[in-house]
Amino acid sequence: MSGNLVGLIPILPLVAALIQLVLPGRVGACRAIGVVSLLSILALSVGAVISITPSDPSQQAGVLVSQMGDWAAPYGITLALDSLSGVLIAAAAAVALGSYIHSFSSLDPAVEKRYFHPLVQLLMFGVNLSFLTGDLFNLFVGFEVMLMASYGLVTLGTSRAQMRQAYKYVLLNVLAGTIFLMAAGMVYGLMGTLNMADLARMVAEAEASQKAYAAGVITADEVQTLPAGFTPLAVLLLMVFALKGGFFPLWFWLPDTYPTLPIGIAGLFGGLLTKVGVYAVARTFPAIFASDGMGGSDRALAWILAVAAAFTMFFAVLGAVSQGRVRRILAVHVISQVGYMVFGLAVALWVPRALSLDGGMAGLTVAGYAMAGCVFYMVQHMVVKCSLFLCCGIMEMHAGTDKLDRLGGLLKRDTALAVLFFVAAMSLVGLPPLSGFFGKMVIIQAGWRELWPLSVIGLLTGALTLLSMLKIWSYGFWNPPKAAVVNAPEQVRRRGRSAYGGAAMLVGLALFLGFGAELIYRVALQAGDQIMDRRPYITAVLGEDGLERVEAYELAIAEAEAQAEQGDPALRLVETPADEAEAATPPAMASAVPETLAGVIPGAGPEGRAPR
Amino acid sequence: MSLVLAVCVAVVFGTSVYLLLSRELKAVAMGVFLLGHAANLCVLAQSGPPIVVGEEGAVLAKRPPILGQGEAAAAPLQTLVDPLPQALILTAIVISFGVMAFVLTLLVVTSREAETLDTHELMLLEDEDVPTPLAGVAVRPSPVVEPEAKAA
Repeated sequence: MSGNLVGLIPILPLVAALIQLVLPGRVGACRAIGVVSLLSILALSVGAVISITPSDPSQQAGVLVSQMGDWAAPYGITLALDSLSGVLIAAAAAVALGSYIHSFSSLDPAVEKRYFHPLVQLLMFGVNLSFLTGDLFNLFVGFEVMLMASYGLVTLGTSRAQMRQAYKYVLLNVLAGTIFLMAAGMVYGLMGTLNMADLARMVAEAEASQKAYAAGVITADEVQTLPAGFTPLAVLLLMVFALKGGFFPLWFWLPDTYPTLPIGIAGLFGGLLTKVGVYAVARTFPAIFASDGMGGSDRALAWILAVAAAFTMFFAVLGAVSQGRVRRILAVHVISQVGYMVFGLAVALWVPRALSLDGGMAGLTVAGYAMAGCVFYMVQHMVVKCSLFLCCGIMEMHAGTDKLDRLGGLLKRDTALAVLFFVAAMSLVGLPPLSGFFGKMVIIQAGWRELWPLSVIGLLTGALTLLSMLKIWSYGFWNPPKAAVVNAPEQVRRRGRSAYGGAAMLVGLALFLGFGAELIYRVALQAGDQIMDRRPYITAVLGEDGLERVEAYELAIAEAEAQAEQGDPALRLVETPADEAEAATPPAMASAVPETLAGVIPGAGPEGRAPR
Repeated sequence: MSLVLAVCVAVVFGTSVYLLLSRELKAVAMGVFLLGHAANLCVLAQSGPPIVVGEEGAVLAKRPPILGQGEAAAAPLQTLVDPLPQALILTAIVISFGVMAFVLTLLVVTSREAETLDTHELMLLEDEDVPTPLAGVAVRPSPVVEPEAKAA
């Protein structure tokens, strides 16, 4: 599959949205266009993931790169699809498709006509752009596009409760967006680039030069250091991503906002939006901001994430158990489950990169394994959480409300719904053959040795999750019906056909994620490996010589070690192949532009900026 | 020059936070607008000082980043303005413009629906209870008495 097809993934929903905008009253046409667009994103991303995943698991997966307008990497806009992006785009498209189909029957027709269709497509445009983009500023743009669409969807229907929550949602996200913009600007000011691969290259070079200094092959003056403000900036960015992702303590906006939305949209948001925040952390932190060999700052960030993970998991599940409405239970649960993903991230940043996993799986590091668990958990949580919201939508069709004390008797009235809900709920809890188990198992196992308190909290949270799901199950499905007047089951079944379709599709996918976990894990392990070992990403984006200096440092270290073994330490300081390599080969990117421009380009600047 | 910009950013941010914490939603909206400006100023500061001190202490303004314009090519990084932060600001301005339009629309809709723009009064308003149930099917109100209503 060619790299340029990657550009289609964000463009398709944009084009669909534009077409739907000019067909405001034609509901049928809009629906068809929307479904076709989502299906083609799904097909494209699944195809891309298959094409980059090697058949031999010991090889590294490829990265599809598209340089917009053919402007070379650190100067142009890069879209890059690796295993992480690909698998998340596919899951996002599937979730959007399920909740979109569900909305055909659960959304008020008057509301549906008010630009529901283009807004969903624009949301997907923003989400896909965020997943694909290769630089920090376009990540900001992707976030903003996604948020603008979500502002529209939050206020769709304009009920009073929605209006009130909309202010909270909009204001907090505007604040986060502002901080993101400033942080991105400052990253440019400090580093002279915004391209993630280029940033990762600079960090890798700084690390390699520190190792070379420790091995004695270069002098103290030659060590490349990262500017002092780098870690504070990382914390600023973490704050932004944490707010989007709903990490502790920045999750307060979420349980109030989601329950007020029309249920299909709540499912879409619950499935998608928090995961974009988690993705942003997974993309930028292991490779750039919380890297090895940065004087312990990686541990500082890992501490923040670990504490956030513990509180997010545990407090949110307590919150969920205490709620009395299905929507609120599910909304608070979104946060609790995000805690597991943060847990995976924390483990990946906490353990030494090279620490290998003991047990049967050879060649795996603990960090990569934890990251793979995080990726799998993101995918399964998107699907499962959305399907639970969609089941809640059907419950509301029966009972006219989602209050637990007025639900009841749904098991007899609608066995199909009961089966769907049960499978989805148990997937969320993580009972063994279902998908949640495989996510939790890997994350808890990876954390067991170094971060066992978190693993214990994870297990406890799992038990409380079961409690809260059983609460819905016993109140809603087992208890005798309480409300006197409700919609007749036949009526619900007739009018809610697409609602059942959407929910069944996602529950089926959740079952597949459980029974086909090995298949998904093959991709997830590749993704974990790619995130932790940033080299393939750097060389894919910047070209083969992107890692030239890092390799030169490593070569020098290896030679010094070989000489030390031969018992001739005096030779160590004589030759520095790193400098030789620098002198011999002209800077790769600068040679592509006129000589005079080379000086203008930041990155070739003075102190603090690492020249190529 | 950087100090002047830093003070400007601080003042605009301070004003904006003060407005955001206000009870009146119109003031909150103004806070949102100012927030974007503060961030833009901050990004502008990243392109460095707009002047250079040339030979014999002569103060020169930096030139636009176009190559082949006179003496600029000699030391481009010192004599030309870094254009990228301005490109970032341009994008950010467009985005904040969209947000601004949205917030204003939200204000109008809220004032029509709730007939107040005071956050405290908005909090006191009760929600309409029923979430959109089954499209096209009327849901009759249930005779079961609300437990919350009893408590109130």
